[in-house]
Amino acid sequence: MATPLNTSTGSFDALYRDSARDLYAYVRTLLGDDASAEDVTALAFERAYRRREGFDARRGSQRGWLFAIARNAALDELRRRKRAAALHGELPDEGAPAPEEEADLAVRRTTVRAALAGLGPRDRELVALKFHGGLSNAELAAVLGTSESNAGTRVHRAVAKLREACNAPA
Amino acid sequence: MRPRDTLTPEQTHDLEAIDRALAGESVEFELRDLEELVLDIRATAPEMSPAFAARLERDVSDGFPTPRESPARVRRPGRRWLLLPAVGSLAAVLVALVVALGSDTTSPPRSLGSAPAERDQAVPTEPDSSGDTAAAPADESASSGGGAGEPAPNAAVAPAPVPRSTTSRKSGSSAGDLTDSPRHVERGATIALETPLDEFDRTTDAVNTTVARFDGIVASSQIGASDTAGGEATFDLRIPTDKLDRALAALSKLGHVTERSQSLDDITGSFQSAQERLTDARAERRGLLRALERATTQGQIDSLKARLRGVGSQISALKGQLSSLRRRADLATVSLTVRGTGERSDDGGGTGWTPGDAAGDALRVLEVLAGVLLIGLAILVPAGLLAGAVALGVRLGRRRRREGALDPS
Repeated sequence: MATPLNTSTGSFDALYRDSARDLYAYVRTLLGDDASAEDVTALAFERAYRRREGFDARRGSQRGWLFAIARNAALDELRRRKRAAALHGELPDEGAPAPEEEADLAVRRTTVRAALAGLGPRDRELVALKFHGGLSNAELAAVLGTSESNAGTRVHRAVAKLREACNAPA
Repeated sequence: MRPRDTLTPEQTHDLEAIDRALAGESVEFELRDLEELVLDIRATAPEMSPAFAARLERDVSDGFPTPRESPARVRRPGRRWLLLPAVGSLAAVLVALVVALGSDTTSPPRSLGSAPAERDQAVPTEPDSSGDTAAAPADESASSGGGAGEPAPNAAVAPAPVPRSTTSRKSGSSAGDLTDSPRHVERGATIALETPLDEFDRTTDAVNTTVARFDGIVASSQIGASDTAGGEATFDLRIPTDKLDRALAALSKLGHVTERSQSLDDITGSFQSAQERLTDARAERRGLLRALERATTQGQIDSLKARLRGVGSQISALKGQLSSLRRRADLATVSLTVRGTGERSDDGGGTGWTPGDAAGDALRVLEVLAGVLLIGLAILVPAGLLAGAVALGVRLGRRRRREGALDPS
């Protein structure tokens, strides 16, 4: 039997407050532009709100359920707008490091952004789900529709590529 | 290539370190670079604009008053496939019910506690002139080797299509003198029924009821039964010929038909012959009467009177012959045998509805229900498996198409 989210006790509100920033970061990384990311994020929350009665706690966490909804919406958006090609381009500039950031920190984060941009779409999505979304491997597996160990293997492989790209000589 | 699912200890160690770093906990010194990478990635996470954050906050607190998509789209498409087995179940139950009801009307009737008269009333009655295929006329079912109405395993094949009335007009006949003259047919039938000994008395009673219902008569009957040797009843019935088909169908429903045959005898020739001889005799009598008026001598008068008596006797005999022929054409002869088989149970055999009958009826109801359930399952299980396979295929296809958005174009 499904265990619906109980909005009267603030479950959905709590889920929103806990996940909104991470969800947006994931969607934004996946889609590559602010406007689409905002649309898809809002759509994901709306769908989750309307389907909250159907949430089944036995099938995973609320967070994983929400990210799965967002992922479907984002992939549909990518397909609809035929933006798959955009995923292979550079990640948009997130802005220069704040002046107060130390120089080596700024260099490091620029390197990380470049390394992320160099990843393939699937690896980049994994990194976004794991590091921006903050999902556990079990949640990741539920979102991707795979086993937990497979999800872990794929994350490890993506991180290895990222480390390799970050450590590569410029 | 599909990635291997088994995590190595090193991979597990790294992943645990990542999780600790994401949780803000410290990691081992040798994995500090991994920790820094995690923190750097987290730091590069895109931030939502304050305007969008405020708009989303408002939507969430208001319960999304303005839908972004149609209600149909909002429904859970992933669960819609669950309706397929439900639709399949409904269809299966409907089919099973139709099959069960259909088989119930074609199987030999079994008492569910109703009196024989009530059972007889359940037999469809239709106008005499209409084709009563629904009531399974005996001649049609017999000639086809058992029709939808009643199985007749040992039924003899009817000799020919039987006219529905005693007198009918021959069409296209080559017999010149019979052309356009009424046809007279004598019909007969033999039926043997078998019934459980417990229902023997009830069945023989029902024979009388059924015969009366079709305005027939029981010319003679002989009934004998014992608790161990079984029972046998023979009936010599007269049924109006125009109601014979329906009467046979009704009688056939009183038990299991083990034998059935029909006979047909065209007595038109005999009838016409007798009629012609009667006409001749009447003409002769008229001639004799005229001659008697003209007779002048006592000898002539006596002779003519003697001949008139002879002709009068002949006319009476011919009238009786015609009447007999007409009766044979109007009333069909049915020889019915009812055999009670098995042994009479202690609680059965009476004409009332006993607790034993109730138990038997309850068992039969359960049998029917089990049959319906079995048929339903026989349809539902394959339908459910098929629906599940289709739903799975659809889901996998949809997932693959979605995932395709992440593939390089």
